[in-house]
Amino acid sequence: MNLATRKLTRILILAILCFTALRGYGQDAKLQLGNLDKLTDKAARVTDVTLDGSLLQFAVNLIEKVDAEDKDVEQLQSIIKNLKGIYIKSFEFDEASQYSKGDVDAIRSQLTSPRWSKIVQSMEKRHNEYDEIYVLKNGDKVGGVVILVAEARELTVVNLVGDVPMDKVASLERHLAPSEKHSDKPKQKKERGHDQE
Amino acid sequence: MHFSEDDLREALKRKDPGEGFTQRVMARVNQSKAESTMQPATKKVNGKFLTWWMQRPAWAMAVVAMLLLAFGIGGYQYSEYRHAEEMRIARAKQQKLQQEAERARDQAIMALEIARAKMNHVLQHAQLQAEPKDKIRRQRL
Repeated sequence: MNLATRKLTRILILAILCFTALRGYGQDAKLQLGNLDKLTDKAARVTDVTLDGSLLQFAVNLIEKVDAEDKDVEQLQSIIKNLKGIYIKSFEFDEASQYSKGDVDAIRSQLTSPRWSKIVQSMEKRHNEYDEIYVLKNGDKVGGVVILVAEARELTVVNLVGDVPMDKVASLERHLAPSEKHSDKPKQKKERGHDQE
Repeated sequence: MHFSEDDLREALKRKDPGEGFTQRVMARVNQSKAESTMQPATKKVNGKFLTWWMQRPAWAMAVVAMLLLAFGIGGYQYSEYRHAEEMRIARAKQQKLQQEAERARDQAIMALEIARAKMNHVLQHAQLQAEPKDKIRRQRL
């Protein structure tokens, strides 16, 4: 192997490593929540939302077009336009202890990277309640947020990917809920993200 | 070109037509007669047909006009049908996209509502846990 070939090989390897690292850097705000799917059969109410890529863009465009002058919608728009993905898995059970500690630990293990910071933790051992909020730092900005609510009869993981304005999310008006604002239908017992329909 | 007298004499001198010349000539005459008796039948038919139309130019024009009109109307209806079909497909596509977008919007709103509720729930729990400690601290102070 001559000198030029060696140099080229090194450059190629370096480029591949950089690409892989950058790819990982961009994607690590998204958690793997597939291990929770097994709880679907046990839960009395399941909420599964997967919104990313073009679907999220669709939503942003439609919100812009339909309710451009509504202040609540403006706020919603300002939150949503910087998001790259919204992933929610929420399970409500009729009885306690339907999920294992391992299920929650599988989520927590993905948040051990130094870029993730636990900003809020609330623990109530008597009622078996562990609530946590994690934030992924991306330089000065927020790269993602995870809200983990593990209670006796509920397990919810909210994973927002992108620049999340936390203050705006917390102060969103309650009446923005689509079940109240956009339809009069009562909520179904099991709601599913339309990706899985 | 110049011909000499000898050339002309050679060219115009009497030649023997060979044996069976008369029979050959008669056979050829018979054949041409037979052909001439067969052809007029078809020629006559075409001629009659054309003659009929030539004698009635108004009818001919009317038929041509009818044919043109029929083709015109047919073509127009076909193009209208194609246009309507394309519009219907485009509308259906648009409607599907709109429905998908509406579903995505509702999902996004619902997701943010859940995020808001859960975030506030965790913050409230954390605040409630912190409050008793604060109270004790303030009482001590």
